[in-house]
Amino acid sequence: MAAEPAANGHDRRRLTAALLGPDAAPEPDRTPAHVVRGTLTDISPHMLGLAAPGGDRRFIVTPQTTFWHGGERTARELRPGQDVLLRCVPGAELVVERVWADLARVTGVITAVDGDTLRVAAGHDRAPVTAVVPYRASGRIRVRHPRLEEGYLFDAVGVRDGDAVRALVPATTQPPYPVVETPPRPPTVRQAARVTGTASWYDPVLGRDTAADARGTLMGLAYPALDRTGDCGPACDRATPCAPLPLLSLGATVRLTNECTRTAAVLPVVACGAAASHFCDRCAACGSQASGRIAELTLAAFVALGGQPEAGCCTATLTAGEP
Amino acid sequence: MIDALRETQVWLLAAVLLLGAAAKAVDRTAQGPAVLLPVRLRQPFTRLHAALEAVLAAGLMVLSGAAGEVVRAATAALFAVALVALLRLRRRDPELGCGCFGGLSTEPVGWRSLTRCALFLGAAAATVGLPGSGWAALADATPRHGALLAVEAAVVAALSPEIREAWRRLRSPVPCALREVSRGRMLRRLRASGEWRERRHLLVSTEPADTWRHACWWLARFPGRDGERSVDVVFAVEVSGRRPEVRALVADAAVGAVDAGGTG
Repeated sequence: MAAEPAANGHDRRRLTAALLGPDAAPEPDRTPAHVVRGTLTDISPHMLGLAAPGGDRRFIVTPQTTFWHGGERTARELRPGQDVLLRCVPGAELVVERVWADLARVTGVITAVDGDTLRVAAGHDRAPVTAVVPYRASGRIRVRHPRLEEGYLFDAVGVRDGDAVRALVPATTQPPYPVVETPPRPPTVRQAARVTGTASWYDPVLGRDTAADARGTLMGLAYPALDRTGDCGPACDRATPCAPLPLLSLGATVRLTNECTRTAAVLPVVACGAAASHFCDRCAACGSQASGRIAELTLAAFVALGGQPEAGCCTATLTAGEP
Repeated sequence: MIDALRETQVWLLAAVLLLGAAAKAVDRTAQGPAVLLPVRLRQPFTRLHAALEAVLAAGLMVLSGAAGEVVRAATAALFAVALVALLRLRRRDPELGCGCFGGLSTEPVGWRSLTRCALFLGAAAATVGLPGSGWAALADATPRHGALLAVEAAVVAALSPEIREAWRRLRSPVPCALREVSRGRMLRRLRASGEWRERRHLLVSTEPADTWRHACWWLARFPGRDGERSVDVVFAVEVSGRRPEVRALVADAAVGAVDAGGTG
């Protein structure tokens, strides 16, 4: 049901703004110049080459540049061909601040288990993901995901390994019951245009070639309270999120503020956050008490807002639907 | 006096069973004892439970003789099973509501819901052996019946946390931005508006090409023609209120808004 989200979404935003006022549907922000993604072509202690959808690009590596590939690494440990995401210094977009290589995430409901391999349903509009929990990470994963069994939630950050994801760092604490046993949430009686909660991220191009696919730097979010009667469609498997989120459709725009960095952006709703709707967790970052996932940002948007993808989440405030 | 008391039990039980069936039909999520069953059986069980309650309620009111006896005995059996199920549920999951009135029964199973269930069991047992149907007793009702029914209804109300929950929900309904609405209902609201009638002649089709939701507003785009121009006729309908505000605009299909209006 998410057909033609870009064109359709643009029309919807334009028409919503015309009818309800420009504040109801503000113009979305573009991808900032300091967030870049592509395929690593070469790397040295001073330079880094990248094949990006806009062509080959070169960046400056400094002694302050940090690297992540399942953990903190050095420039020498990265290999050409890896999918890399760069955060450059704002205002000096050729200087790299941090590099994430083959970053990936698995969020959803476990549907099958075979030894250390899990099959995870990531929502009705995304392909299921295969996650492998390597022996060296199993202790850390098991502490926060004690039940790697069918029907239980799973959320971990790791690195891409072929068609699978090596899950290395747990991104949440698993609820102690399967998804179908989730206690009914009390009906929400409060309404607020601003909702604070947990913002996580997802990769819209997981498994595809980031050198050719411009969605690698797509600025947007998957929304856990997408209108069931319209875009979510008959196969909709989203739950009622535990944060009091207003119902929206694809193309709507929301203002999202990262409460840890106080960075804000206007982002369009580009997908359904069915997987995120099952989580009612708190983000340990910034010591927030707000629970419930309010948005699943695209990886580029999460990084643009100053988030640390390896941490899995940030506390954020979402403002939406204000005419 | 005793006969009057037994006859009032039939009406009380019929009313309670009907209310329970209606509440379960409205909110079909598995509640109460249904969660003791495997997941795949919960929804069918809830539907079956609601249907059984409705059938028993109707049977209590209209059936007499041997058929009426069967229904009254079945009602007593239903409440006996319910009492056992509630005791098990309380032991297994002390935080869970009884689900007696669907989603309204949010208070954990406690002495009130158990006492109420036992009271209904006693009431159902007392009706066994009555000669006539509930309707027949209603036709011959006396002020004494009314007084007994009022006293018993007050006792049941005191044992029912659902009344407070229903009152709370009535006073604080789900906010409009979070309320799920059907496309059919919103189309009916739109078609009853003056904005629709005013722009109806521009529409090529009365079925929307696209619909979407924006918090308290439901929006629909219709293809239209204004002379030689292809236009989009777009309506925004408020989700809440008996007389919802409707806004409309006619936009050039390629460029942008050219004419907007609204009703308050």
